[in-house]
Amino acid sequence: MPFPPPVNSFEIDFGGMDLIRSRNCTVFFKGETHMVVPDAAMLAGGWEGGQGVRWVASTTDEFTVTYSDGLWGGFLLWGSDESADRFTSMTRNQIVYDTAVMMAGGAMISTSTYERYTYASRLGGPLVPLVYVASESLFLSSRGLWTNEDEMTLSGHALAPALVAGFVAQVPKPINQFYLGIQTVL
Amino acid sequence: MEINRSRDVIVLYKDMAFPVEVDPAMVAAGWAGGQGVTWTDSPDDEFRVTFSDGTWGGFMLAGSNESADQLIAYTGNQPKYQFGVMCAGTALISTISFERYTLESRTAGPLVENTWVVGSKVRLSLRGLFTPQDEWTIAADPRAPNEFYAGSIVQPPRPNNNNYVMIQTAM
Repeated sequence: MPFPPPVNSFEIDFGGMDLIRSRNCTVFFKGETHMVVPDAAMLAGGWEGGQGVRWVASTTDEFTVTYSDGLWGGFLLWGSDESADRFTSMTRNQIVYDTAVMMAGGAMISTSTYERYTYASRLGGPLVPLVYVASESLFLSSRGLWTNEDEMTLSGHALAPALVAGFVAQVPKPINQFYLGIQTVL
Repeated sequence: MEINRSRDVIVLYKDMAFPVEVDPAMVAAGWAGGQGVTWTDSPDDEFRVTFSDGTWGGFMLAGSNESADQLIAYTGNQPKYQFGVMCAGTALISTISFERYTLESRTAGPLVENTWVVGSKVRLSLRGLFTPQDEWTIAADPRAPNEFYAGSIVQPPRPNNNNYVMIQTAM
């Protein structure tokens, strides 16, 4: 159907979604959410929304997470210091109180937190862009970002191979601000 | 229970449900409720699906032209606006969208009915219908074996369930 619709037409322009991606991770359908405690490394390094995390032992009675190395418990819903949180009550809230919200299960998300370059090229250069294809399997990388490479196998991780964490629902492209659409299954 | 199976897929327990854009192939051919779909790229900022060939994003909740939708405002709605509602996750469904016959017999005949064993796993077939077979392996697909399990069998098709198969999905 032409846009705009012809004059006097009762056709509806179903142009689709107009998504405002003002955060690192936009959630269309949520999975399980649970409050977790980021470990000292995460508090020191910060994180982006969509960051994959894994469980880590704690001396306290808390569910504690750290950066994923390919293993996962889920991903963090919000970044530690996102621009969308500036000048609001959320500013650095997670860092100060050492809490975050982890999501797991089946969710639909669009995120900027994914690997742009192959594992091998990140290590040895020059950088080689990853090419994402709709419906392919996704894993978490050695630093917990979404990727289509099994970096646990590539890096010789003792617990390789990596488990599938999701599928590509939408490839990064200019019209979606180069966000990666993911159906999560973690 | 007395279940009124007036649609292609009856949902007894639902999980994730999400509006998706359907690709031109699905608009042209139509689909039944319970049709398995997989992600495909769209030139727009849309989450677009096409017929599954064994991989999945989920299954379509409503068929494109079900008899239950005739002569109401929903008639032809989904193909017209190129959208549908995709379900995924853990759902309990009863559906007609399954492979009645084995891939070998559909390919070469004569037709041999699939065997449905309660508790065993199901996958999606090469045309996106629920099946107890691993059609990637049978068809010597280079992606074989198909480890993208789509669920397990709860109730085999039989006369007293209108020959619907009941599946607990795990997508």
